[in-house]
Amino acid sequence: MKPQFFALACASVIAFSATAHAGTLENLERERAMTINTFMDASLSVDERQAKLDSQRRRLVDLERIVMRDESLRGQNTKTVRIAFQNYDVTFLGHASAEKGHTMFDHWLSQFDVSTDSLMATRVGRR
Amino acid sequence: MSDLPLLIHRVEPKRLATVLGAIFVGGAILVATSSVAFSAPQWSPQSSERLIKLPPSYLEKSIEHDFARSELGTAIHDSEENISLKGNTLADLQKAIETADSDVRGELRHQFLSEKRNYLAMMSERNDLRRKHLMTKRRLFDDMLSRLSAEEGEMTPEKEELIELQKAASERFESSLAKVDQRLFEAPELEESKYSKQYAQNKTAIEQLVARIDNHKMNQTAMSDNGVPLTRVEHVRRMVADVQTELAVLDQEETILGYMAKLVALDGMALAEEGLDEELLDSDVAQTNLTPAKNVSFFLNN
Repeated sequence: MKPQFFALACASVIAFSATAHAGTLENLERERAMTINTFMDASLSVDERQAKLDSQRRRLVDLERIVMRDESLRGQNTKTVRIAFQNYDVTFLGHASAEKGHTMFDHWLSQFDVSTDSLMATRVGRR
Repeated sequence: MSDLPLLIHRVEPKRLATVLGAIFVGGAILVATSSVAFSAPQWSPQSSERLIKLPPSYLEKSIEHDFARSELGTAIHDSEENISLKGNTLADLQKAIETADSDVRGELRHQFLSEKRNYLAMMSERNDLRRKHLMTKRRLFDDMLSRLSAEEGEMTPEKEELIELQKAASERFESSLAKVDQRLFEAPELEESKYSKQYAQNKTAIEQLVARIDNHKMNQTAMSDNGVPLTRVEHVRRMVADVQTELAVLDQEETILGYMAKLVALDGMALAEEGLDEELLDSDVAQTNLTPAKNVSFFLNN
């Protein structure tokens, strides 16, 4: 094969792989990971975190609605889809937290049996 | 040496030629018959995904349309036209026999019998074609049923559980939607997102279109006789039952044709007997003169 053809073929493969679409659920998972990252980001001040979380909540809610209305996910028996729907409160964090009247952070922690009160009751110690 | 060459040697050349000729003619007939079988009119419908997905009201019409355009459909149509014409001929002959003189009447009765035989042959041929049509149709429906069963079989317990979970999630999502919106827009500086705005606009359009589709006559589900909606599988099963009914009726029709053929044969024998009687009546020899007692006078006087 001539080097030019080989280069062209490689370029085509790269171009096609670049245009591959992520699924709606994958996009939601990505946005949620970024939101959780914001929860944990120690470099942010309280106001900065709040502002960032407000904006992320809007995007998260939109993406959750997109996932919930995505007909292609109906009965799509893959591991990702199964886990996503088995854990509604974690997957649809924006909706579930608003439904329960919690902040997203509190709701997320409550899914792992951790509450603000229990966190506040902890103390730093040596094991 | 085996017996076979001896036998061949013993056979006269003339007889051998006759036997070989008969074998050749037999072979030729066999080849001709098989070529007729191969060239018999065909209809080969295929059970495809597209066919299964067709609306119930359109499915049957689509199959019938495909059949009407096939070789088999054309052959049955032509055959029915010919039978209809033959029926007219028979009716004309029957009327002519009623009004004909005795000499012409005999001729007409022979002709009528011959036409009846042809009519039965045509009917039998048409029934063979009809049977082929019904059997093909039944095979098509069986294929469709197995495809539909395969689709149903794809539903594993795991998948069923997932669908249940998705249904529950969807219900919870819909019930919390207003509450979520209310909480989201508590802050006055926040306005509706681009997705929410466009979704609301599109949703109205989608709802209108869905309502139109739901009411479209080609999208109506098949109904049973008492107005109960039928599933796709039930509808196909019903069509299979209809084909089975038609096959049973066809069997009955063939019995009728069998009786008709028997009557034609009996009529033929009756006509032949009448012909023999007439020949006997036409004889110049008086049967009564053949007894010895009647001719004793020949021997009594010189």
